[in-house]
Amino acid sequence: MNDVDKLIEILNTVCPDVDFEAETNLVEDGILTSLDIVMIVSELMAAYDVRLDIDDLVPENFENAGTIYELIQKAKGN
Amino acid sequence: MAITSFSFLTLVLAAAVLYRLLPQSARWWALLAASLVFYAAGGAAAMAYLAVTAVSTYAAALLLQRENDRRRAMEEDKRRETRKRYDRRRRLVVGAAGLMNFGMLFAIKYWDAAVQGLSGLPTLGLVVPVGISFYIFQSIGYVIDVSRGKIKAERNFPRYLLFVCFFPQMVQGPIDRFGHLAPQLYAGRAPGAEEVRDGIQLMMWGFFKKLVIASRAGIVVDAVYGDAGAYPGCASVFAVLMYTIQLYCDFSGGIDIVRGVAGIFGIDMAENFRRPIFSLSLAEFWRRWHMTLGAWMRDYVFYPLSLSRACAALGRFSRKRLGGMFGRILPTSLATFIVYFIIGIWHGANLTFLAFGLYNGIIITASILLAPLYGKVKTALRIREESAWYRAFCMARTCFAVFIGRYLTRAPWLKMSLVMLKRSVFDLHLRQLPATVLGLGMSGGDCAVVAAGCAVLLAVEFLQERGVKIRKTLAERSPFVQWLAMIIPLAVILLFGIIGNGGGAGEFIYGRI
Repeated sequence: MNDVDKLIEILNTVCPDVDFEAETNLVEDGILTSLDIVMIVSELMAAYDVRLDIDDLVPENFENAGTIYELIQKAKGN
Repeated sequence: MAITSFSFLTLVLAAAVLYRLLPQSARWWALLAASLVFYAAGGAAAMAYLAVTAVSTYAAALLLQRENDRRRAMEEDKRRETRKRYDRRRRLVVGAAGLMNFGMLFAIKYWDAAVQGLSGLPTLGLVVPVGISFYIFQSIGYVIDVSRGKIKAERNFPRYLLFVCFFPQMVQGPIDRFGHLAPQLYAGRAPGAEEVRDGIQLMMWGFFKKLVIASRAGIVVDAVYGDAGAYPGCASVFAVLMYTIQLYCDFSGGIDIVRGVAGIFGIDMAENFRRPIFSLSLAEFWRRWHMTLGAWMRDYVFYPLSLSRACAALGRFSRKRLGGMFGRILPTSLATFIVYFIIGIWHGANLTFLAFGLYNGIIITASILLAPLYGKVKTALRIREESAWYRAFCMARTCFAVFIGRYLTRAPWLKMSLVMLKRSVFDLHLRQLPATVLGLGMSGGDCAVVAAGCAVLLAVEFLQERGVKIRKTLAERSPFVQWLAMIIPLAVILLFGIIGNGGGAGEFIYGRI
């Protein structure tokens, strides 16, 4: 299982009804709400032991699994 | 100055003429002059409160900008080294601006209610100026955005003042963002004929909702709430239903007027309603109702609260001790509950609004916590979420939850809300409804106008929900049809609108918040 697959597995535990592999505009299309985003963020912080900041909570970071993956990589780097 | 009054329309017309006459770079002065004239009509105290907010948030933003600029000029290592000190200063400035403005709001709006019944503490008896909650929220949002480096502070005070007090939004919002509104205010762009026509049509749609539906529905509401003990339960049910209609048409109609006026100046203000009646859940209802307040709460309360160290600690604790889905979502649910609680209090200094906040917070939090259970039930019963009947059921369920919540917000006391709710269940006397309604100051004709108005409103919103752009569709028709689309609504407003003081035509319910 690669890193992105692992991420998708985590995302599916928070939002089981969302197809993270296929959807590319999760926020713009209204699939993810602010509540989903916060639940995803708290899940990611626990799973990867990283700290995400309020400035990270912008729609473009949560549009698809790829952008979320990049966000995690950035947080790991910090 | 009521935005449904002739004097307001005259002010808009004068400002629009002046706006066109001035060179592009100076047009924002016309907007500022109109805004100051509009707000000065509210009295000296209202102007003084406005000045406190404008000056304090202007100064706070400049201080924050200076900190941001200094930090940007630093080397990377130095920036990391000074991060804690920088964050502390940033929080101090935002905190001071917040304390000053929310403190003022508390003193004006909540102090008297808070000290009621406590001996030794004097009441202040301050008059709540129109729209104070809205411009304070908008200004504090600006300060936070500057502190986060999302926008640059405005150095020109008159220009900033225009952002704080742009006259159409001063009654009941929307609570716009500096990054969205300010560039449009300062651009001085002259709108095209189509934009002006769209603006006028949107204003007329707002006047229709406010003067034809809301003001008429308000007659029954005022009568029943004026003497709730005198009427059977069916009158309470009917009054709360009328209040639900009145509140939506009053608030969204007012916002349509505001956005229409702004459109005449080529300014696209933030959307505040997206057909909440079609919501599938109470949480979705609040995402479609008063959207700018919801977005404000999300960005400046919900996100920081959810990502706070306290919430993270609670998350670690609940995951470890409670485990499973419940342990994972508990901190987010708690943050959600706090946000709805604050929204409830924001609406007014009264136990009824506290109960309203708790009511919404409990339902939404419970629906988050019970979501896994609902999922299992739906699977067991083979319910397809996308089926039309299930969606209709969800909409009806949401409308019912909203309707029950409205029992809490109109009554002056919580006890009265609960008595009316109890009567609606145990003392209904449904057969007395026709005679009771006609005895509440509303004629059969008024009932027919409200019903027809609601049918038109529902039909329009249904089409919009299906993606039909009504104004765009009309604009593609012949000039004759386009003229009819202007004349017929105007005639309906003039014939059926309650213009003048009856039914509170000049006042807006959210204008008192």
